[in-house]
Amino acid sequence: MQDQARLAELRQKFGREPAAPSEPTAERTPREAQPRFRGLESGHRACQGCGEALAARLVMESAGPDVMVANATGCLEVFTTPWPQSAWRVPWIHSLFENSAAVASGMEAAMKAKGQNTKVLAFGGDGGTYDIGFQALSGMLERYHNILYVCYDNEAYMNTGIQRSSSTPHAATTTTSPAGKERMGKRHLKKDLLSIIAAHHIPYAASASVAYPQDLQRKVRYAMGIDGPTFLVVHSPCPLGWRHASALTIEVARKAVECGLFPLVELERGAVTNIMPIRQVRPVTDYLKLQGRFAHLTRDGDPRAQEERDHLQALADYNINVFGLAGDGDDPVDTSGITTVGRGGPLAGRPQ
Amino acid sequence: MTVLTRGAYAAPGTSLDFKTGNWRSTEKPVHIHAKAPCHAACPAGEDQQAWFAKLQEGHVEEAWRELVSANPLPAATGRVCPHPCETACNRKDVDGALAIHNVERWLGDEAIANGWAYPVEPPADDAPTVAIIGAGPGGLSAAYHCLRQGLKAEIFEALPEAGGLLRSGIPRTRLPREPLNAEIDRLLALPGITLHLQTRLGRDVSLAELKASHAAVLLAPGCQESKHWDVGGAVPSDLHEGLSLLREFMDHGQFPEAHNVVVHGGGNTAVDLCRLMKRAGSEHVTLITASGLPGPDTDPDDLINVVPRELDEALEEGIEIIDHATVNRLIMKGSKVTGVEVVSLKKEPSASGRKRRVSFEGTERVMEADMVIPCIGERVDPDGLNHLLDGSYFWPDSPFGKLEDGVYAIGDARGDRGTVAGAIGDGAKAVEAAAAHIAGRPQPTLDTRAEMASTGLNPVYYALSPRAEPPKVPPEARTFTTEIEGDIGRTAALAEAQRCLSCGNCLACDNCWTLCPDNAVIKTQELASDGSHYLFDLDYCKGCGLCAHECPTGYIQMVPETA
Repeated sequence: MQDQARLAELRQKFGREPAAPSEPTAERTPREAQPRFRGLESGHRACQGCGEALAARLVMESAGPDVMVANATGCLEVFTTPWPQSAWRVPWIHSLFENSAAVASGMEAAMKAKGQNTKVLAFGGDGGTYDIGFQALSGMLERYHNILYVCYDNEAYMNTGIQRSSSTPHAATTTTSPAGKERMGKRHLKKDLLSIIAAHHIPYAASASVAYPQDLQRKVRYAMGIDGPTFLVVHSPCPLGWRHASALTIEVARKAVECGLFPLVELERGAVTNIMPIRQVRPVTDYLKLQGRFAHLTRDGDPRAQEERDHLQALADYNINVFGLAGDGDDPVDTSGITTVGRGGPLAGRPQ
Repeated sequence: MTVLTRGAYAAPGTSLDFKTGNWRSTEKPVHIHAKAPCHAACPAGEDQQAWFAKLQEGHVEEAWRELVSANPLPAATGRVCPHPCETACNRKDVDGALAIHNVERWLGDEAIANGWAYPVEPPADDAPTVAIIGAGPGGLSAAYHCLRQGLKAEIFEALPEAGGLLRSGIPRTRLPREPLNAEIDRLLALPGITLHLQTRLGRDVSLAELKASHAAVLLAPGCQESKHWDVGGAVPSDLHEGLSLLREFMDHGQFPEAHNVVVHGGGNTAVDLCRLMKRAGSEHVTLITASGLPGPDTDPDDLINVVPRELDEALEEGIEIIDHATVNRLIMKGSKVTGVEVVSLKKEPSASGRKRRVSFEGTERVMEADMVIPCIGERVDPDGLNHLLDGSYFWPDSPFGKLEDGVYAIGDARGDRGTVAGAIGDGAKAVEAAAAHIAGRPQPTLDTRAEMASTGLNPVYYALSPRAEPPKVPPEARTFTTEIEGDIGRTAALAEAQRCLSCGNCLACDNCWTLCPDNAVIKTQELASDGSHYLFDLDYCKGCGLCAHECPTGYIQMVPETA
């Protein structure tokens, strides 16, 4: 009886209706009848228009159901698992910010010891991958674990309130790299993580974007088929941190690719094996002007803004040159071709 | 004392127990089937988007059935219609409007060749009968829609053949007799339609008799009488009026001899006549019109009312067109014309807001001419209809053509129409109103859905592809009998269908389903009663608006939460 009282008190404190988990119903609801694997379910607490939630959902659809996930600290961990609920429908472990690759390595070793084939995924944000969890990731790649590591790159520490990370693009404003009299946002450049990953000579490393879900899911499926370490970085806009309308998540991500600032490339054993050609290269200002974090760059009459715009344009042009991103005629899987839809779904992959 | 671990006071659960739907603050996504602009612009009331959707799925016969649910004469309209649908098409600013007109014609021809059955049932034996005056496109459409409404139709036609203006006023080079006859014969053979030829209103039947003997009377007499034309009181003794000249030519194959012809007017009849006279041997044929030619700055109100293709072909064939001008004076030798004085003119807004014609002093010039043909339009033959006419036409107040209880006007005779498609659309609307009247139901209302503008679409998801062009007989090889524009063909027609943007209607492209970060779009074919394949699970939708922004067709829109 005393327990019951304490129970009621605690429930009151944590502010939630004392509801039992929903009972499985006899008939299949439309949600249960979806023709895809729902690895990351509704009811998670991501913000409106969250690019990371979308990216994780897309990855889980293509990777699941026979997978386990090790998740670093970050938005994804926080918004999917507010105790006592979980949005994950696969085994899922969170330990610390810096060790998801190490935890995943242990899970993989355990699976091996048990003689099971369940694939292990490791998830982290750009903070947990580019900065804090970097050495664990490098070790995981070097030890050649059979793990797909997915980095959801939203280009700052969004979970703690938009602090700069080594993935934050040059000149973006964050709470720790504010634009103002002294500086035009972040002074340093975005870390070229993919090249560092490629230097491990792993079987497969690629970048993808939520704006191109078919391409993203193809890359996940390809990585799932590889017995060895694979790495995927997914560009995932954050409406809150990038300061754009929640409806524009896909448009912003698409323009990042189309201007060349976020190149979609695939590397095997360290060599570039594929890129997504850009059919119509657009100026970086098309991308910048959608976002509040670059608002100081679009002010007229400020020579510093002009210089930083030109700098970002030069960085985009560099990517386009280095990876050869400019399209050579229409291609069904270039940035325009792959988005094309017809009645009944995307056209890419249909017989012509 | 019992120590409670955290796990003791809540069982692990799924996040599905947490309804994020209450995060929506202002707007929620809904499916809104807005009118495609082609549909909104179609005088015949076709929903082109709907039948293109069937073609995109590869169902050709179903597409034709969808098409003839509004317009029973697609092989005819697919040849003669000025296709305002294409002018309205949202694709026109991207890479050219869809060739809707050519695909419609192809579907009509396919139906004739394959003998596809019209989607109508024979009416019951005791079904009420509707009397229809005139077997032109409006009357035929009305008879067909009577069957669709479960009524019988009895048509009274003054001429010895059905077809009206389609037969008497449109040259074979535009509308050959074979498809026209085939389509009309098919329609008239439907059980429930009776046709009385050579039965003239006012001579063989009277309106009062028909009103007494039939459940409703639909008036589609067309415009048969030439309007009076003179220039400052002068009329040449050998005046030939446009439409009657055209009719004579279609009957006998001959024009009166003339070297310098001036045609005064600005419609399809005027252009048809110009081209036929030129082909018949007149050296110079000039069209003088008060309207403007199509151009980037042309005001739609000022644009010449001619099928754009026909205008291009006329210019190709060497017809001279003087736009924004009128015939100011006839220069006569005795009572024969030897020339005309032309003056520039424009329709200018007046203080009252209505357009008035202003001719400009100092722009007069004299042209040699041995024949002047007025093509300024026709009026309703008033025989038997006098009390219903308001001047030359009926001018009904209602879009359904209601003149008085159970009497409806259709087509050109209304006064505010002027196309075959308009007459066909009137037929459908008048029958809808008449059927409601007969059954004692409330009168029908117009479809007031909003139209989907091109700004409501997301162009990223559409591939560019050029418009298909049908084959054409070159100007030097054109005759009086061979159709000038050719068949687009099955391959091109089906490819053209793939270009349809599906404005305002679901493409089933899966974008919303794929891109929802909250898994709040549910895919289901059976349960989505709104015609799409998707449901919004508003228990979880946070209202981010991503699906609406990424919907290619504008079918998903964000509306205020309270709506």
